[in-house]
Amino acid sequence: MECSFALTGKGYVLIAADTTAARSIVKMKADEDKIKSLGPHLLMAYSGEPGDTVQFAEYVERNIRLYQIRNLYPLRPASAASWVRRALADSLRSRSPYSVNLLLGGYDTATHAPSLYWIDYLGTQAEVPFACHGYGSYFALSLLDRYHDPEASLEEGLATLRRCIDEVAKRLVVAPGKYKVKVVDKDGVREIEL
Amino acid sequence: MSRSYDRALTVFSPDGHLFQVEYANEAVRRGTCAVGVRGKDVVVLGVEKKSILQLQDPRTVRKVVMLDDHICLAFAGLTADGRVLIDKARIECQSHRLTVEDPVTVEYITRHIAGIQQVKEKSTIRYTQSGGVRPFGISTLIVGFDPHDTRPRLYMTEPSGIYSAWKANAIGRSSKTVREFLEKNHKDDLTRDETIKLTIKSLLEVVQTGAKNIEISVMESYGKITALDLSQIEAIVQEIEREKEAGKTLDVICWWKLLMMRLEAERKRSRLAATAAGQAAMASRAGDSAAASGET
Amino acid sequence: MARRYDSRTTIFSPEGRLYQIEYAMEAISHAGTVLGVLAKDGVVLAAEKKVTGKLLDMSGAKEGGYGGSGEKIFLLNSNVIAGVAGITADANSLVNYARTAAQRHLFTYNEDIPVEMLAQRLCDMKQGYTQYGGLRPFGVSLLYAGYDPHYEFQLYHSDPSGNYSGWKATCIGANNGTAQSLLKQEYKDDITVEEAIGLVLRVMSKTMDSTTLGSEKLEFAVLTLDQNTKRPKAKIYKPAEIDALLQQHDLGKKDDDAEMTGA
Repeated sequence: MECSFALTGKGYVLIAADTTAARSIVKMKADEDKIKSLGPHLLMAYSGEPGDTVQFAEYVERNIRLYQIRNLYPLRPASAASWVRRALADSLRSRSPYSVNLLLGGYDTATHAPSLYWIDYLGTQAEVPFACHGYGSYFALSLLDRYHDPEASLEEGLATLRRCIDEVAKRLVVAPGKYKVKVVDKDGVREIEL
Repeated sequence: MSRSYDRALTVFSPDGHLFQVEYANEAVRRGTCAVGVRGKDVVVLGVEKKSILQLQDPRTVRKVVMLDDHICLAFAGLTADGRVLIDKARIECQSHRLTVEDPVTVEYITRHIAGIQQVKEKSTIRYTQSGGVRPFGISTLIVGFDPHDTRPRLYMTEPSGIYSAWKANAIGRSSKTVREFLEKNHKDDLTRDETIKLTIKSLLEVVQTGAKNIEISVMESYGKITALDLSQIEAIVQEIEREKEAGKTLDVICWWKLLMMRLEAERKRSRLAATAAGQAAMASRAGDSAAASGET
Repeated sequence: MARRYDSRTTIFSPEGRLYQIEYAMEAISHAGTVLGVLAKDGVVLAAEKKVTGKLLDMSGAKEGGYGGSGEKIFLLNSNVIAGVAGITADANSLVNYARTAAQRHLFTYNEDIPVEMLAQRLCDMKQGYTQYGGLRPFGVSLLYAGYDPHYEFQLYHSDPSGNYSGWKATCIGANNGTAQSLLKQEYKDDITVEEAIGLVLRVMSKTMDSTTLGSEKLEFAVLTLDQNTKRPKAKIYKPAEIDALLQQHDLGKKDDDAEMTGA
């Protein structure tokens, strides 16, 4: 089943998402990228109803890109999160709502601070130091409560992330096999090996 | 009654003119000059920058803008009209990516922009009674690369809604002079440096104040665009001026050489003539004996 | 002959000009002066009010909500103030539009609208009125003084054509040429708010028709950053505060008695 984790550290946000594309009980694909980069300093992990996720993510991607090309500067993470939440909240009240859960991680180049937003398909939004979506959260949140450190270096952050993933692999019946991990910091967005 | 021909867009004058479109072209001609030049694998946009007032913020004066990662536009004419049109084009670029998952081609977005400019005329049918809609008072130069393609592209749109592809062209103030210069000097397969140089050279035809009033953007491949800074432009302007000077001295030398050659030739000719005359005289004298010997 | 092309804004003249816009700008050059100066730690706006009549009841304005008479200087959003010059009715409608646009931005992005974007919103509207439907353009120029985290303190000017541009110091309305050249002479790049206030008052006193400055003729506003909250703080001066400020800068009305004793 789908799992995504994210945590902030000293000057960065780490986001991990499983790479399985499944339909019913069948795995269709094992290398699906579920983390989109929405700008030079913004990442979004999405999970939920398979068709909705990609459709919504692309819609967000294009709108955030449009903002940047119109104004020559990108939306700041907090504003981007507000926009996305608004889009989801409006969609929820429309005839065909998107069923998508999101983790939005960004680095604000104006304040030099990383920030992470947890958004669910009901349009709930919260700024958090760490976050999970999916069944993985039942196992990972307690670990993150215990081990998360907002001042942790990237290596330490990755170690915490590994703990979460290992625990999920150990305990969850339908644990996903592979994850993709991306980080956003002052240098921008990049993928890293776990 | 003849008064109304030039007010409404949809009405032809008896001699077949759409006056409002022609007047919009005048508005373009009042704008600053912009030049586009296509090289072998680059395309360069050059614009004339109005001198910025001492207390003005240069950031807000924009004549060359990006429509998407791979497409760049320069315009001449009414700035406010330009801003509105550019905004519409930018939306279309992202919307196109969302619908067909591909970036727009340069021709596509050009056609779209020209369409907006032209639709204004069509919609006049509805608006004529309520007072008329004027066309956009701008021409645009659109440059860029199509996705998965290495050929540089250059298009132009006009207030009438016409669009066309070019090897090199100019819009705005004195564009005719610049175009004629480009027609004379453009060659196919220009290198990057040659293309930049030709762009600046052609702009210098109308920009008397030199580098500080010139802005150059170079697009080298899909999504790779750089704006030259003032010192780089200055260097090229100086190079051009040096060449012109050298050209002049070269001309003088040439002229001198030519003169000397001509004098030399003249002298030679007169010498030859003299010898010929001498020979002829001798021959005529010898002729008598030659004739006798049967020579012709 | 020019009359053929100047009756309606939406058409070009044979020279490619839009006369209605040019006339609107002409009207603005007779309106009350508005002056703006950008400092490194704030922006200052001042405006000249044309006094309409002695019997005009200004008591409401004196106690008015956020200060100012609501005639020349307006709060558009918590981070932007604007000074208007031109037709007051048009200005009111534009101010209303700007406030709505700013709130709409707050609604979608949960942040104060960036200053340039607000200026753009208004300019898009102004441009529309020069192109569609046989309407006349807005007869208003505005100066926007604002703050956002992208470019920090900013000062913009927009005119009836829908053009806008950024400035370090500028002036619209009557006598703007004189004011511009005074500003050009006296402006320094690292000017502070305090110095800017002095500069604005000095220039205003030279460009305004009347010999003495007073709160009945002058509106004044300053935008700075609140040192505690790090958020922009707009202050539109109340009449009493303006008079106090003028006294402080030796530009106010001299007390008659004091003058008598002096003489």
